[in-house]
Amino acid sequence: MTVANGPTIQVEGVSKWYGSVVAVNDVSFEVYPGITGLLGPNGAGKTTLLHMMSGLAKVSKGEVRVLGQPPRGNHELYRRIGVMSEHEAVYTFLTGRELVELAARLQGVEDVRASVDWAIDTVNLADAQHRTLGTYSRGMRQRMRLAAAMVHDPEVLILDEPLNGTDPRQRLEFEALMRELAARGRTILISSHILEEVETLASKTLLIVSGKLAASGDYRAIRRKLDDRPFKLRVVSEEPRKLAAALVGVEAVDSVAVDPDGSLIVLTSNVGELQGSIAKLARDAAVRLYRVEPLDDSLESVFSYVVER
Amino acid sequence: MGTVFRLTLRQLASRRRLAIVVLLAAIPVGLSALVNAFLGEEEDFTQGFVDTMVNAMLVGLILPIVVMTLATSAFGNELEDRTLNMLVLKPISRLAIVVPKLLGSIVIAAPVLVGATTAVVLIALGDGGVRAAGAASGALLVGVVTYAAIFTWAGLITKNALAFALVYVFLWEALLVGFLPGLRFVSIRSYTVGVMHGLDDTTFAALGDDALTLPAALAGAGIISAVFFLLTVRRLRRMDVP
Repeated sequence: MTVANGPTIQVEGVSKWYGSVVAVNDVSFEVYPGITGLLGPNGAGKTTLLHMMSGLAKVSKGEVRVLGQPPRGNHELYRRIGVMSEHEAVYTFLTGRELVELAARLQGVEDVRASVDWAIDTVNLADAQHRTLGTYSRGMRQRMRLAAAMVHDPEVLILDEPLNGTDPRQRLEFEALMRELAARGRTILISSHILEEVETLASKTLLIVSGKLAASGDYRAIRRKLDDRPFKLRVVSEEPRKLAAALVGVEAVDSVAVDPDGSLIVLTSNVGELQGSIAKLARDAAVRLYRVEPLDDSLESVFSYVVER
Repeated sequence: MGTVFRLTLRQLASRRRLAIVVLLAAIPVGLSALVNAFLGEEEDFTQGFVDTMVNAMLVGLILPIVVMTLATSAFGNELEDRTLNMLVLKPISRLAIVVPKLLGSIVIAAPVLVGATTAVVLIALGDGGVRAAGAASGALLVGVVTYAAIFTWAGLITKNALAFALVYVFLWEALLVGFLPGLRFVSIRSYTVGVMHGLDDTTFAALGDDALTLPAALAGAGIISAVFFLLTVRRLRRMDVP
């Protein structure tokens, strides 16, 4: 049953644990037709969530419904959803076409040949369809897996890191395809650990960090939160104490500490302003500046900041 | 089911795996041919042949190793390569996945082993060994099905299915069942020998002392096969697929 104007995917209070390890902790959200991005660093629980949404994994607590139905063991529901898992594994002894044909036959597609032709043309791999998958590049393999996931023209597509291994041109083609499917009313959930991938594609973003839903909604609002976070910088100079005294007076600087190795650890809520003024500040203080480097610019630290707020 | 069956056949019939299976099955055939060439018509040949070639080598060693090589890979390869989700995320029942996986191992192992068994018996007994060849082949077929059921299940429950299978064959079947005769009621080797003896108690008279009766052997093999088949379906329904 399609839920008219309602959410296509409902995740309510879902948790998943393996022994004493909690992979997903009390997560709730809804996904509507269009493109939704599931964003988070590696190990955040994105794949576990997608596995529960597709029925591959049991839910420890809570409830998942896709098109109004529980997905676990729901064979009939699989006619209406397409899943592309994270791992790039394929049957390497099959040709690309055979992989898509396999998916079409198992899905019970009526006109296998026409559907396979359409899916392969859509991912632009007609020329390579008769080569064995073992000879494909990562990007080609991903695209053929996508063709297999959508050969039955599903209402819901769940794609786990689909852009892994693709080149910029393939990404543009992928984005165009996703937008076309979304315009046809399909629900597409795409996971990624790369901010920019989701930024360009998704109208709504779900941010998962450490198994929890850290933020959800419009990507730009989340991005603003990310950009507003305080940055920690290491500043290496000839005379750190003299430079520290000068930095304390700068409005963008929240705190300055001298590290045991002689460098300065500067916390700033406006990294742009500080980067623009620090060189002039050092020159005015007659201090030779050697290096300015971010200390916490990893994706994990960016995501963690949003969780802590 | 046909789609999964064809996929399984292609998965299992890799050149390397087929070479191993055929080479293993060829060992008793080659040895029988050698023995036959050197010993000719000596009187003790049949007795020694039954004990060594059929019982010890084919039933006790080659049969479980060949089936293990194939059946543990039926699901083991899917788990190792993380391709199982391509099957379970389709609108087909778990039964429709397990049946062709099981049949895939049987369809490859059975002709090879039955062919080797027939060849071994006919080399040793000549034209008079047709009945014995049929009995041994039938027994091997029962063994193939039963071992396939257990090892297919093992491939799904553990990443170390080969180790499990080796322990089962060498510890349980070869050692424990040998020391504790009561265990022959839960021994695939005993079922196989029981069927062989039950179908031809003349040629295989030497196996009669401890052999199960034909009905008991068939019932045991059937029950074990059914139990492990159902366990495999249950496991596939309940497991988290990577």
